[in-house]
Amino acid sequence: MVQITINQQRIDVPEGMTVMQAADSAGIRIPRLCAHKALTPFGGCRLCVVEVEGMRVPMASCTLPVSEGMVVETETESLKKSRQFVLTMLFSERNHFCPFCQVSGGDCELQNAAYHEEMTHWPIQPGWNEFPVDTSHPYFVLDNNRCILCRRCVSACAEMAGNFTLSVADRGAKSMIVADTDIPLGESSCIKCGSCAQVCPTGALIDRFSAYQSHDRNLEETSSVCVGCSVGCAVKVMTRDNRLVRIEGDWDGAVNGGVLCELGRYIPLTESRPRLTTPLARKNGSLEPVSWDEALTLAQSRLQSGSLAALASTRLSVEALTAFKELFETKLAAQLTTTLEEGRATSATAKYAERVGNFEGRLDLLQTADVVLCVGADINRHHQVAGFLFKRNLNNGANLIVIDSAETTLAERARFVLAPKADATQTLILALQAVIAKEGLERKSLALADVESRVEKAVAECGVSAEALTQSARLLASAITPVILYGEADEATVEALHQLAVQIAATDEERNGILALKGGANSQAASLLGLERPFRLAGGETLYLALSDDALPQALADEIRKAEFVVAQASYESEVAEIADLVLPVGIWAEESGHFVNLDGRVQKAQKALDAPNEIPDNLNLLNQIAERMNITLNADWREAVRQRNVGAELRIL
Amino acid sequence: MSKPKIASDWMCGCAGCHMSLLDMDERILKIVELADLRATPITDLKEPDESGVDVGVLEGGINNSANEEVAKKMRARSKILVALGDCAVFGGVPALRNFCGVQAALRRAYVEAESNEEGSQIPDDPELATMTETRAVHEVVDVDYNVPGCPPDPDTIFYVLSELAQGRKPKLKDELLHWD
Ligand code: SF4
Ligand code: SF4
Ligand code: SF4
Ligand code: SF4
Repeated sequence: MVQITINQQRIDVPEGMTVMQAADSAGIRIPRLCAHKALTPFGGCRLCVVEVEGMRVPMASCTLPVSEGMVVETETESLKKSRQFVLTMLFSERNHFCPFCQVSGGDCELQNAAYHEEMTHWPIQPGWNEFPVDTSHPYFVLDNNRCILCRRCVSACAEMAGNFTLSVADRGAKSMIVADTDIPLGESSCIKCGSCAQVCPTGALIDRFSAYQSHDRNLEETSSVCVGCSVGCAVKVMTRDNRLVRIEGDWDGAVNGGVLCELGRYIPLTESRPRLTTPLARKNGSLEPVSWDEALTLAQSRLQSGSLAALASTRLSVEALTAFKELFETKLAAQLTTTLEEGRATSATAKYAERVGNFEGRLDLLQTADVVLCVGADINRHHQVAGFLFKRNLNNGANLIVIDSAETTLAERARFVLAPKADATQTLILALQAVIAKEGLERKSLALADVESRVEKAVAECGVSAEALTQSARLLASAITPVILYGEADEATVEALHQLAVQIAATDEERNGILALKGGANSQAASLLGLERPFRLAGGETLYLALSDDALPQALADEIRKAEFVVAQASYESEVAEIADLVLPVGIWAEESGHFVNLDGRVQKAQKALDAPNEIPDNLNLLNQIAERMNITLNADWREAVRQRNVGAELRIL
Repeated sequence: MSKPKIASDWMCGCAGCHMSLLDMDERILKIVELADLRATPITDLKEPDESGVDVGVLEGGINNSANEEVAKKMRARSKILVALGDCAVFGGVPALRNFCGVQAALRRAYVEAESNEEGSQIPDDPELATMTETRAVHEVVDVDYNVPGCPPDPDTIFYVLSELAQGRKPKLKDELLHWD
């Protein structure tokens, strides 16, 4: 710790902090425009200058490290003058029309900074040059007229999303924020994560959905968890008058540290399926509104006779999934209880873990990985934030090796891409092990026999060249902090990957550098609960479909039609409405609280942010109501229920 | 001692700032108590006293030769000149016109706009003022106090006028200072 004095206040802070961080920690706000707590500071805007005793000129506090005994002043008359000058120059460069700007009146850091310096006008008027406005992006608008070239967006794109779409073109007065080679954002390599819009201090990057809906101070903010996938990113759900206005990444999010992907940030706002707000029962072929009483009576009679199957979405909370399992599997003895995912992304890993114990590591290892081997997972398309965690480092010496028999958008960023023929992934992994052994590069010997033949077999069977195989093996084996990330795989492939992890010391006493991506938000919980069997109907069953706000996978639709009677617990009118005989409306993700187990076993709570329309119940509530009708009490404790087996990742109920 | 004199005028604005002035409600009586309200767009007198006033207030930017005259006259006749509102302080919404230039703006308004009759022309009567770029008041004459806001709040206007009327220097900050 070092002791420094800021504005006569003594504070003790850890060594290595910057003066700005020290001030923040003491609640002293130093003005800033380019610095942002989630981004690397570079001292660009000069607004954060402070006076330091013994230094001749004011210093940028965002890059100045604290030192013992430092005496700092942040609010002197001369600093005010110098900040006014910085702001004067900024306002003279571009075109600011505050009265009709979305962020004016509290949400603009530039305007707030000018108010802080008590600026009543612009000493230098703008030159009235027009700057480009890019409206090609589906989610936000880039208005260069309001841009102050602070580069936060550029840093966010690179450091948070690892996407490197944005940069500053030209120099000096001609500088401009551009996408790729100065093409419209909507046609660029942008992955639509929205990080740039979240960090922009001005109205230069404005969110289309929330624009002009409200000042932030009038929004309610609910800390929650994204249920888009199993990464488990922390979100702030911003609402007003029971309406969803915006979703932001939570800077304090354990997994994501503020970044989100398109699925988490924007897709929920594009929801256009009409809501179900009243129970419907099929009468003479078409679905007609019925009372809750009639609906529940019908559900009761159907669920208590004949053979029964039950299918749930992995977007349900653990509480709801536990109740689902207890009701259908334990109490009603359904022939089949599973999820829409059918365990495709979890069951092989879980089976393997049942043999060897938990073997997976944590997502944060991706942030420091020097080599990532990504197997059968196009993380540009799904689980994107897991990809962001290491793609950020790909321009800083980290390397990516991709194994995928399908075409993958990751190829562009990969050092090596191995594309085995379908079903040959395991053979390829075994061959990688063999090459590493043959070249004497093992960190831990797997004592492999038949090394030569394995490689030959792989080359013959996989359609991968010996050269590519060898180079990938060498790179993998040379890694200090490698991580293996895999998508859907069979048990043999999982085993081969785990062995490879041990062989290259991705996994050793200290770390488990291997992770399965899993599927939906609670696919790990479903796995823990054993809800991961394939969905096959014999025909003639009553099917209970707890779909919630999920979409029905096309692949299951035909199988579902085999059921004689379908009860759908659903939020939206959709294809379900066509196949269901009884529809019970439920709340959507934002209308209920509950826990989620992410892919590395972290248990997090999603919080209710909206009231459901028409007082329809949430998923757990509805399951309880159905049980009550049948005089069944559901009392399984989810915390107990998820502790019955090892499925790969260590469960962490924090 | 006689009460300080206040005069005001408007130029390239929308009258909103003067509406906001009236919006101070009964506090206007307080202003009248403190000061002698002379020529304003809302009183009968139309020009600031030749003998001068203590405080001159200008709403709106300067976008033609007539505005220039108004501004210069007010400056010449006021001890203290106040630029009231975003248009006077920054140029405001009318300054959007500066992006396309005077001729294009005139053509759009008098010739191209859908509401014009066939064959309409830009008026060219020599008696008309000549249009210029839209400028903030301080670009044309010296301003002592800039009071931004679109419009400035009645509270802000009351504060500024009552301070000036009592010989004090108003300082805009916190909730009295906004640019929108
Ligand atoms: S970005 Fe800020 S300063 Fe610029 S117009 Fe908008 S509110 Fe005003
Ligand atoms: S767009 Fe926003 S974040 Fe990017 S440089 Fe401009 S002001 Fe900064
Ligand atoms: S949305 Fe994400 S990927 Fe796209 S430009 Fe912004 S930061 Fe980069
Ligand atoms: S990675 Fe998954 S959890 Fe994170 S924001 Fe995207 S969809 Fe949501």
